[in-house]
Amino acid sequence: MGTSTTVSLPLPSSRRGLGWRGDKVQRFLLHDRTLGYLFLFPALLVIVGLVAYPFASAIVMTFQAKTAGAPGRFIGLDNYRELFSSEQFLRTVVNTAVYTAVGVGIKFLLGLSMALVLNQERFCNNLFRSFLLIPWAIPTVMSALNWRWIFDDASGLINNILVRLNLIEETISWLSNPHLAMFSVIAVVVWQGTPFFTMSFLAGLQAIPKELYEAAEIDGASVLQQFSYITLPRLHPIFITAVMLSAILTSAAIQFVLILTNGGPADRTMIFSVLSYHLALGGAQRLGMGAAVSLIFFPILVVFIVFLTRRMLREKGE
Amino acid sequence: MALRMTTQRRALQGLGNGVLVLMLLWTAIPFYWMIATSLKHDKEIYGYEATLIPQRPTLNNYATVFRETPYMLYLRNSVVVAVGSTVLSMIIAVLGAYAIARLDFPGRALLARGLVFTYLVPTSLLFIPMFAMMSMLRLTDSLHGLIIAYLGFDVPFCTWLLMGYFKSVPVELEEAARVDGCNRVSALVRVVLPMSLPALVVVTFFSFTHAWNEFLYAHVFTSTTGARTVTTGLVNFMSQDVFFWGPLMASTVMSALPPVLMFLVFQRWVVKGLTLGGVKG
Repeated sequence: MGTSTTVSLPLPSSRRGLGWRGDKVQRFLLHDRTLGYLFLFPALLVIVGLVAYPFASAIVMTFQAKTAGAPGRFIGLDNYRELFSSEQFLRTVVNTAVYTAVGVGIKFLLGLSMALVLNQERFCNNLFRSFLLIPWAIPTVMSALNWRWIFDDASGLINNILVRLNLIEETISWLSNPHLAMFSVIAVVVWQGTPFFTMSFLAGLQAIPKELYEAAEIDGASVLQQFSYITLPRLHPIFITAVMLSAILTSAAIQFVLILTNGGPADRTMIFSVLSYHLALGGAQRLGMGAAVSLIFFPILVVFIVFLTRRMLREKGE
Repeated sequence: MALRMTTQRRALQGLGNGVLVLMLLWTAIPFYWMIATSLKHDKEIYGYEATLIPQRPTLNNYATVFRETPYMLYLRNSVVVAVGSTVLSMIIAVLGAYAIARLDFPGRALLARGLVFTYLVPTSLLFIPMFAMMSMLRLTDSLHGLIIAYLGFDVPFCTWLLMGYFKSVPVELEEAARVDGCNRVSALVRVVLPMSLPALVVVTFFSFTHAWNEFLYAHVFTSTTGARTVTTGLVNFMSQDVFFWGPLMASTVMSALPPVLMFLVFQRWVVKGLTLGGVKG
């Protein structure tokens, strides 16, 4: 392969540098098809070894009684049967739905408002934008730890302030009160996840041609009309992508609940990822049960995933 | 009518400024509390003398973190894992993305689809079988194991992102290079890669911060101090009996700093890369 870009004699390529045999080998190796498979082989290995194989073995596991390191014993549908008759699992289904829907809903609304506000012209706007996006850049574990301390019963920031202002007599247990815990967790999810929506929507807003608004204004359209007839339809594709992506990731994110409440109090904040973690890696190490919990949710996720896959590839012209 | 428009504009601007102030406070207060706590003496953190603003700021908590905890080790582990998985996934992704973007072979479209699909499968669906697999291969409690595990997310994402950039490099440039005697490989290295520098920056940023921030695999696959990264190390501090918010917040501040600084530096590219499709988060 010793050729270079320097000006060379206009010899036919088969004579350049290499002997006849070497050239044949080189031709074969550099053929599109061979090279294509060669280049993709490592990526394929990763996909198969780290996603496809584990996924397939998860399916097998759900029909087994299995602990880590030991081979599984086939038990048919027992894991699924046990789950569907357990109150904890049914509560988890409801919790996951509420957690995801409310979380994504609030993130969407806040993200849209933030994007609209940041799209206005103002002094130092770039600085504000950078600052508002920082929660997204912070590792989620750090945010969750920080919020756990903010919610702290005895000396946390919120109770600290409420007591100072004489608004409460006794401190509030934000994370261990059964009625409040879910909302406290969602607040953290929103704090961390809003910037993702802001970024996506702001980019969408900035891509809308200014002329559209100017024309609408000449025609006498009010600000509200401009918003509903220009802004919203133009942002619509981004809305769908962002909401779906966020729904997948919000429902599957484990660290907020694990760090803030660990699923408590009395399973009030138990979502499927945490339940599956507890079943698989808690005391009893029931890997099959844990895998079954995740897998029951997969059909819902897969609808979103397939839809998003299409969209993301279309954007790339594949 | 013009008057009505101006009034509407002004009202909107006012409303916008109001909302902005609220958003800034909502974003800033948790940061403030994290940093303020890390600078306080215990007396100001707990009990009746607790303060909102550190009265006698101190760096004691930071000193405690370094003196009495294995934080330095966690930090080193995080750096090793992040650099290792970034370099590996970059090499694998560049090759794979080039093949999908430029080379013609059967199964290409299917592979592209498979890549995006795997990128979207959340790790919380995979950690149980991954844990079983890692135990079987004796890769638990090891940094190598984590580096390998992170490729499962980094490679599909990086390949997908690079694929789009590679396609935007004009084919003519590459053809010109090949006429001049470059083969596919040297055309990739000399023409396509230099032109995709912004994409390479974004991809580096994402795989590095992903490895730095990742929690679930790191938490599940490690059980000894020697292989803990920063995220799982800090959560482990919390679950130990000694519950110390001062040092914990100090280590939180320090661990959040690298990704935040990287984000501020690369922000322009990151936002662009993010809006090209989607990014986990």
